[in-house]
Amino acid sequence: MPPPLKVLLVDDEVVRAAMVEEALTNEGHQVICRLQSPASLNEMVARHQPDVVIIDMESPDRDTLDSMAVLNRENPRPVVFFADQHDPDTMQAALKSGVSAYVVDGLVPGRVKAIIEVAIARFDSFQSMRQELDKTRNQLAERKRIERAKGLLMKHQSCDEEQAYRMLRKIAMDRGQRIADVAESVIDILDRLENGS
Amino acid sequence: MTTLQDAELDRLTLGFVPLLDAALPIIAREGGFFEAKGLEVTLSRENAWSTLRDKVAAGLLDGAQMLAPLPLAMSLGLGRAPCDTLAPITLSRNGNTIVLSRSLAERAGVTLGDEPADSARALGAYLAAHPETRPRLGMVYPFSCQHYQLRQWLALGGLDPDRDVELGVLAPPRMVEAMQAGEIDGCCVGEPWGSLAVARELGTLATTGVQLWPDHPEKVLGVTRSWARRYPATLHRLIAALLDASRWLAADPDHPRQARDWLALPPYLDRSVDHLALLSLDTPPIAQRLFGEAVLRPNPTAAGHFAEHIDQHMRSHGRRLDHATLSECYSPVHFDEVAHQPSATPRRPDR
Repeated sequence: MPPPLKVLLVDDEVVRAAMVEEALTNEGHQVICRLQSPASLNEMVARHQPDVVIIDMESPDRDTLDSMAVLNRENPRPVVFFADQHDPDTMQAALKSGVSAYVVDGLVPGRVKAIIEVAIARFDSFQSMRQELDKTRNQLAERKRIERAKGLLMKHQSCDEEQAYRMLRKIAMDRGQRIADVAESVIDILDRLENGS
Repeated sequence: MTTLQDAELDRLTLGFVPLLDAALPIIAREGGFFEAKGLEVTLSRENAWSTLRDKVAAGLLDGAQMLAPLPLAMSLGLGRAPCDTLAPITLSRNGNTIVLSRSLAERAGVTLGDEPADSARALGAYLAAHPETRPRLGMVYPFSCQHYQLRQWLALGGLDPDRDVELGVLAPPRMVEAMQAGEIDGCCVGEPWGSLAVARELGTLATTGVQLWPDHPEKVLGVTRSWARRYPATLHRLIAALLDASRWLAADPDHPRQARDWLALPPYLDRSVDHLALLSLDTPPIAQRLFGEAVLRPNPTAAGHFAEHIDQHMRSHGRRLDHATLSECYSPVHFDEVAHQPSATPRRPDR
């Protein structure tokens, strides 16, 4: 077993950071997390001397890390941007997933690449998790909207639920719209009728 | 009437960092000047210069508002793998301030003087008498006018930027809160962040970019050379729309107020312009300049101040700045082609 690498993880997204941390710990690495900690990134790097820093692409702290190699002459651990020494494919994948990484000069490229690929995979699965959640929320909201439109139709047309639903479906087919969208305009119109405006 | 060729792209995304000198792209979008040139432009707010740079290099952004030295640093491969990048139009001149925290400024007797050396000497004398004090000063990016102006100002006070102070990088929108939290004792930053620190009574103006380097280019539009080659007509329309936006800004005394209101929209600068009644232009002591063809025309000579610092940096790594790269980066060739077209009207296009 090669010796574990020290990875500093900079991510404000708590769940995602936990996912990356767990995966890298399972691979035998030592992970230090920096969430929205008050300590400055300069101090974190000086104190922990990480071999690799994984940072959310959208973090404003990126400029701080980027400058370390250029500025901190006394910094014992010059960090270089991952893009400079590794293959463009991994770089492109990292960029698309929102992962950026800084590594200590002279680390074996293969070991760094493995770490970055783990981070990319976790960032990607977090992203699809979030999309899935958004979708579920939307579906719930749509279902509620359709229920409400049916209720209003039943009242105004004195029909039963089945007939109200068929009405919605017919309008949707005639207009080439989704039922949820039709439900929205039905609610809009009937609400206005009800409020007498 | 315009003789510009049809654009190869009709939809583009440009990156920006929340700063007053993102004004021209914001005006061009909100005022319909991009639209009038047949371009649908999305402005994407970026949290860090390095991220904006990497996205432009990778083609995730078509172009971006950039620190004036950034296209040169990208072309030379400083800070990341080399990527030939051009600055086909200047977006602003001046606008930087060096602000010290009130407590440090009061202790050191620093105020804005007629010469930048006045305040620098005051700080130098104070630090000489208090060798235990090593102020932490923020700037925005290693290859930036802010970094170089800060170094130059410190040197005027006989201070060694690497020994007598601690320099650190922070994104511009973080400067004021970092000063408030006591994480930095001063900074060099573009507007509105410098005047905001003063307006919130956190900081004192020590000097300005225009005092140090009169009328230096501060921000430019940056596109990769390969992008400019693939989409020359789109580039020309982009330059034309930005020029129209600047002409509109200059055309009426009420327009800087309208521009300020657009900048205050949440996707752009939001609450950070609350202290400004209008987009102050050409006003001392900051003297931000955003219009005039001589102001916006790129020019390798005007890049001289920061080119010298970049050359120094490269020499310390056994390299030298080559003038071919410098001339290509800041070549006015695209600008001149567009500016020589019949001039557009400076009023807002009908939408």
